[in-house]
Amino acid sequence: MGNKLNIWFLSSLLISIIVAIPIVTVFSSFFEPTGEYLSIIKNTFLFEYIFNSVTLLIGVLSATFIIGVGCAYLVSFYKFPGSSFFKGALILSFAVPAYIYAYSLTAFFENYGTAFSIMKSLFGEGDYNNYIPKFDGMFGAIISISFSLFGYVYVLTRASFHYQSQNLLELGKNLGFSNKKTFLNIILPASRPAIVAGLSLVAMETLSDFGAVSFFGISTLTTGIYDAWIAFDDLALANRISFFLLIFILGLFVLENFSRKKAQYHSHTRGNFKSKSLKKLTGWKSFFAILFCSIIFFLSFLFPVTQMLYWTLIFPKHFIDLNIIDLLSNTIILVFLSSFLLISLSFISNYGNRINKNKLLDILTTFSITGYAIPGIILAVAFISFISWFDKNIIYFFDIKAIFIGSIAGLVIVYFIRFYSLANNGLKSGYLKINYSIDESAYLLGYSKLKTFINIHIPYLKNSVLLIGVLLSIEIIKELPITLIMRPFNFETFATQAYIFASQDLLEAAAAPSLILILIASVFILITSRYILKDK
Amino acid sequence: MKKISLIGIVLVFFAKFSFANEVNVFSARHYDSDIQLYQKFTAKTGIKVNVVSGKDKALQKRISEEGQDSKADLYITADAGRLGAFDAKGMFQNSMTPIIEATVPSNFRSDNWTGIAKRARIIYYSPDRVSLSDLSGMTYEDLANSKWKGKIVIRKSNNIYNQSLVASLIKNNGKEETLKWAKKLVSNFARSPKGNDRAQILAVAAGEADIAVANTYYYALMLSGQKGKEQQEAALKVMPFFPNQNDRGTHMNISGGGILKNSPNPENAKKLLEFLLTKEAQQHIVNNTFEYPMIEGVEPHDLVKKMSKDFKQDLKTKVGDYKKNQADALEVMLLAGWK
Repeated sequence: MGNKLNIWFLSSLLISIIVAIPIVTVFSSFFEPTGEYLSIIKNTFLFEYIFNSVTLLIGVLSATFIIGVGCAYLVSFYKFPGSSFFKGALILSFAVPAYIYAYSLTAFFENYGTAFSIMKSLFGEGDYNNYIPKFDGMFGAIISISFSLFGYVYVLTRASFHYQSQNLLELGKNLGFSNKKTFLNIILPASRPAIVAGLSLVAMETLSDFGAVSFFGISTLTTGIYDAWIAFDDLALANRISFFLLIFILGLFVLENFSRKKAQYHSHTRGNFKSKSLKKLTGWKSFFAILFCSIIFFLSFLFPVTQMLYWTLIFPKHFIDLNIIDLLSNTIILVFLSSFLLISLSFISNYGNRINKNKLLDILTTFSITGYAIPGIILAVAFISFISWFDKNIIYFFDIKAIFIGSIAGLVIVYFIRFYSLANNGLKSGYLKINYSIDESAYLLGYSKLKTFINIHIPYLKNSVLLIGVLLSIEIIKELPITLIMRPFNFETFATQAYIFASQDLLEAAAAPSLILILIASVFILITSRYILKDK
Repeated sequence: MKKISLIGIVLVFFAKFSFANEVNVFSARHYDSDIQLYQKFTAKTGIKVNVVSGKDKALQKRISEEGQDSKADLYITADAGRLGAFDAKGMFQNSMTPIIEATVPSNFRSDNWTGIAKRARIIYYSPDRVSLSDLSGMTYEDLANSKWKGKIVIRKSNNIYNQSLVASLIKNNGKEETLKWAKKLVSNFARSPKGNDRAQILAVAAGEADIAVANTYYYALMLSGQKGKEQQEAALKVMPFFPNQNDRGTHMNISGGGILKNSPNPENAKKLLEFLLTKEAQQHIVNNTFEYPMIEGVEPHDLVKKMSKDFKQDLKTKVGDYKKNQADALEVMLLAGWK
């Protein structure tokens, strides 16, 4: 008995330790001397980093709240022409990473950009540059990040609206509330946990965004850590900034956890769930609902796709030169290996937790969220630092660096650290649905723990696994900073290829890989839309 | 069957795809044309070229963290200051060969790295709004002149090309003088710095500013039509101007490379560097990237030639000195309020 327990326990412990590597590395790397490089100015830098991060966060949270909740409200409570189309179409925004949105935004609105060309072809020669608004800098970053992330708020809020019992609506009616009042005073508070959960995911992604903010040249805490560590070689400063960032993230995490705990009180079992009769909108109201959803769908998905398609067509040379087969097979290898590793280890960890019910493990698992919260670029560099330290001090007789740095193995392990919480929480919520009494009955029937796991849990969780696999695939296809640092020789993905062209100021060449990336991610999203939208 | 596929997965997982006769390049230049050059090199010598490209500092970090186990042979990047800084960390070994010493002018190389192509950082102006008499004898120093108030666009201070330009000014005029200059320049900005070099040129074309500072190859690329008709027409609305022709000459910078200290294949890396400095390779580089050739006897692209028949390059300020002054340059810019 004890032995078996230990195996599960130890493997969970090991996973948690791997996930904790970067954070420990970041905080323990004080041994290098700090640079005296611009010490006075650095303090002003720090203020700027915090200020920019907060500004970005407030902007993105406000925008995603309005867009996400607005869309969710319309498609959950009303029927209007196209409402069922929009319900699914709006999640396609997940397919467009913020950095690619940033490329499209720049391409369209810059001086002599696509907007200028359109104006010129419509109205002939003219001085349009002065009239075309410029979306760059902080404003551009807020827009790019908001449109690529509002899906989190939309999906979670919609699910919560969807499962709200008819009773709540009727309660409003019986109290004589207007529709607006019912929504504001009853429905919205009941969905608050879901909205907060969505917003905190948005917040974490926003804080760790690297591609879009560096493209727009904004110094945030994330780019600050990168600059301090990588450009100034000043670990002490990087640690100081990381510390601020982690405080932020910890706050968000506490908030999110708190609201999820609350959410459990609000969740309804299927039994008393009455599907709502959707209210049919007519006239002006219907027109506005269609308009709102159309605009959001257009801006979040059609706009970047059209811009990229337009460029791919005007500059076909870049598309022809693209090594699509290589890029595709590299992407598939990464997706397959990472998903396999993540899902199998999440299984072990979840099962271990289920058997052990150990407080320490709970804390360690909670710790694993940091992988998702710490910017990928920092994870990658921390992992490299850790491996070289390990190689020097622990396993100096064998070259482990060669195995883990600049290899697919290293890349997949850092992906593992980054996405572990996503896989783990996905399975955890699947496991929550399996009542523990089922396990107990199985043991009574003489099932071993392993047999229970294989014969009962796995079939039960098949759908969760499928969903997690696809969600991971979408994340990995879009992932940029880790891939950029950790990848082997001659190894590109659609994301790195697009980024490399963009950073060379060859946005028109970045269009083809960006477009393919969006299309692949869209297919994945459509495959699982039923699950993502929780309309099983 | 299961076992075989499992072994396959494990093999892929740990694969490094390594060959015996190879050279590993870490490159912060991401031109497709560079890749074509490497293919030519392989065809000629049989040496396979492996490439990792990425952001300059991230690549440096990876090389230094890998330490003695690093597989990297050759590090290629833009900007002499970057090469100098990496060299100062002791990351390079002697990269000179008689061929390189004979072909590359001494102010565009050090013992441990060499330039492979040149670029100039110059002024662009709107011929509609700026007369040639306004510009006559214009220098970088003159950018601080109050007659340009609200008329100048230039990139942010974190841009390495700006850091090298300001470093060269510190080298020539001293730190204090340059701080005064920077403060005046900032007060001449038409807008808060944003965008890349091409965006500065576009801002002049669009009438947001009269004067821009940007590298030469951006303008030629726009003129070439490779970025579309709109960009070409915009480029035709601005004119290039080469500053400091009456004194030390126009500020030059390089893309270059050096052989890494822990290089496993230093001989192959030397061969590749030498190859990049052959006439054939130089012609390929300048035709594709619109840079200036590093060696004699190769002509720049026609569009680049048109920008200035024959301008005076600053050969007095060694590009190897940029590194020494880059930290000061950044400090000066930040103190001047240069975002």
